[in-house]
Amino acid sequence: MSRIQRGRGGWVVEAGGFARTLAIAMVIAGLALAGCSSKKNANEGSQLNPSPNGMGEGGLNGTGGPQYANGSLGGNGAGGPLSDIHFDLNEATIQPQDNSVLKANADWLTAHPNTRVQIEGHCDDRGSEEYNIALGAKRAQAAKDYLTTLGIDGGRMSTISYGKELPLCTDETEDCWAQNRRDHFAVAQ
Amino acid sequence: MGVRNRLSAILAALLVLACAIFPAPVRAQESLPPIEITSAAKAQPIAVSALKNLGGDDSHQVSATFVKVLMRDLTLSSFFRIVDPASYIEDAQNSGFDIGQFNFADWSSIGADFLVKGTVTRDGDKISVEALLFDVPQQRRMMGKKFSGDPHDVGEMARRFADAILLNATGTRGPFDSKLAFVSTRGGRFKEIYTSWLDGGGLFRVTDNPTINLFPAFDRSVTHLLYLSYKTYTPILYLVDLGNQTEVPINPGLGQAVGGALTPDGQIIGAFERAGSTNLYLLTQGGNLVRSLTDNHAINVGPSVCADGGQFAFTSDRSGTPQIYTESLDGGDAHRITYKGDYNTAPAFSPDCKKIAYESRQSGFQIYVINSDGTGARQLTQSGSNQGPAWSPDGRYIAFSSNRGGGSRIYLMRARDGYVIAPLTEGQGNESNPAWSWWMGG
Repeated sequence: MSRIQRGRGGWVVEAGGFARTLAIAMVIAGLALAGCSSKKNANEGSQLNPSPNGMGEGGLNGTGGPQYANGSLGGNGAGGPLSDIHFDLNEATIQPQDNSVLKANADWLTAHPNTRVQIEGHCDDRGSEEYNIALGAKRAQAAKDYLTTLGIDGGRMSTISYGKELPLCTDETEDCWAQNRRDHFAVAQ
Repeated sequence: MGVRNRLSAILAALLVLACAIFPAPVRAQESLPPIEITSAAKAQPIAVSALKNLGGDDSHQVSATFVKVLMRDLTLSSFFRIVDPASYIEDAQNSGFDIGQFNFADWSSIGADFLVKGTVTRDGDKISVEALLFDVPQQRRMMGKKFSGDPHDVGEMARRFADAILLNATGTRGPFDSKLAFVSTRGGRFKEIYTSWLDGGGLFRVTDNPTINLFPAFDRSVTHLLYLSYKTYTPILYLVDLGNQTEVPINPGLGQAVGGALTPDGQIIGAFERAGSTNLYLLTQGGNLVRSLTDNHAINVGPSVCADGGQFAFTSDRSGTPQIYTESLDGGDAHRITYKGDYNTAPAFSPDCKKIAYESRQSGFQIYVINSDGTGARQLTQSGSNQGPAWSPDGRYIAFSSNRGGGSRIYLMRARDGYVIAPLTEGQGNESNPAWSWWMGG
């Protein structure tokens, strides 16, 4: 009994016992070659590891905070015309103290009608990664819904979640966790 | 388009050109990460002799690679400890390799209960290895295998032989002819996805973009890998063809991608967020919607499909806190599995579909295993914060990430008792999100 399997750089032929004939080996070699050629023909999709394209649809640049490569990932808490809002642990509900922040953000957006805003939802680093991406999305959506009720056109707003991937700080303290549980509002002209 | 973006575009074009001009170098001899492994208690002493050169391996390179990988894998199994090669009496090149051609006393006298011997024949790039396993106290041959391939296949030959040794010695095939995928910041500050053999050999960098790449997941045939990337500055799932090293974005128009997994037959379960709710969807390999798997206003993420393709587990906070649920891939009702604790996430189905490993948040995370009917929850890890459990294809081991040694690193433990065998990665940068493939050889 013989099996063939694709190895890292070619084909490994494994015989269950010690008896193996040249004929079987040749058949296997033929199958291996057939497998290789059909694989090449099935080539589709883009090659791995091209350099990242310079500007994607979501490439809104934040200001201040950590700079990533060409500055197109978000994660910036300080600076910019709009202020961040914050959330309780594992919550996506707008807190009463942030009503005035969102009102001020809405006023600025109303006064600058040719701008767009990407609302970034962020989490602290104590949750699970994938769950946090969904939680950050919920936080971003909560702010978008609130701004919509304040009269901002939904077409000017997009949302994105970075989960816990872009923290503002990395200390294991209540204060730092609270800073990281945020919505950031990145403005583009 | 600003000046900076124009510059970025030019730089990007130059980099693409550079990639075309300088193709990836051919992988050199198998190297393994330097990792200290303490042998487990009750590990059986096994001697691994050099391969006898029957021609063409005068530098003993093939033998050295085969022996190095085999020793690493047998030690990682926790069933064996390697008898120190410095104590070997017999010279592999000047003695016979099969039964009756060597002296078992040379091995029993140095305390070996098991013995591996073998031969190598090399003709250019064509390599043949014959490996044998002996029971030293009973002076009998237990098993033998023949392998052939090119120089890059020698490590894989050793991994298959390690799996066969475990099959003979324990009754269950070993898990070493399989791949690990994980996220690492070893290349700098960014999270990139890598694959390697379980023992760390054959390291391959899957992503290379200065953004965020997460959640690698294999299909059963280990021909595809799914992952989430922010490389276009919006989160998108990509399906990589590991054979020809190409990828396609999976973008069914269901919202922003959050994560996903592959079913045994290569279909995709994707988590997509729309209007703040994240739901799970079954998609074809091409990314077309087959059916909704969840449909509510909560968070539903982290799918893990059991190997028979019947059920999947996932995390949902529909009850108010994140808990583990199971559901049939055909649709139907979700069944809540976890009730203890208020934050249970990242489920992973065992290969026999009978158990689910998951992470539970206390102060930090600990890994638990529970029966898939919700009974018998058991805490496996104790030290540090431990996340992202991934089962071995034989169901005896779990890979996970832990900060127990400082930065986050991938570790290997036994599923039955939580005994932590060794780190699987060097710990260059932070490493997380381990995924463990099915056997490469079927």
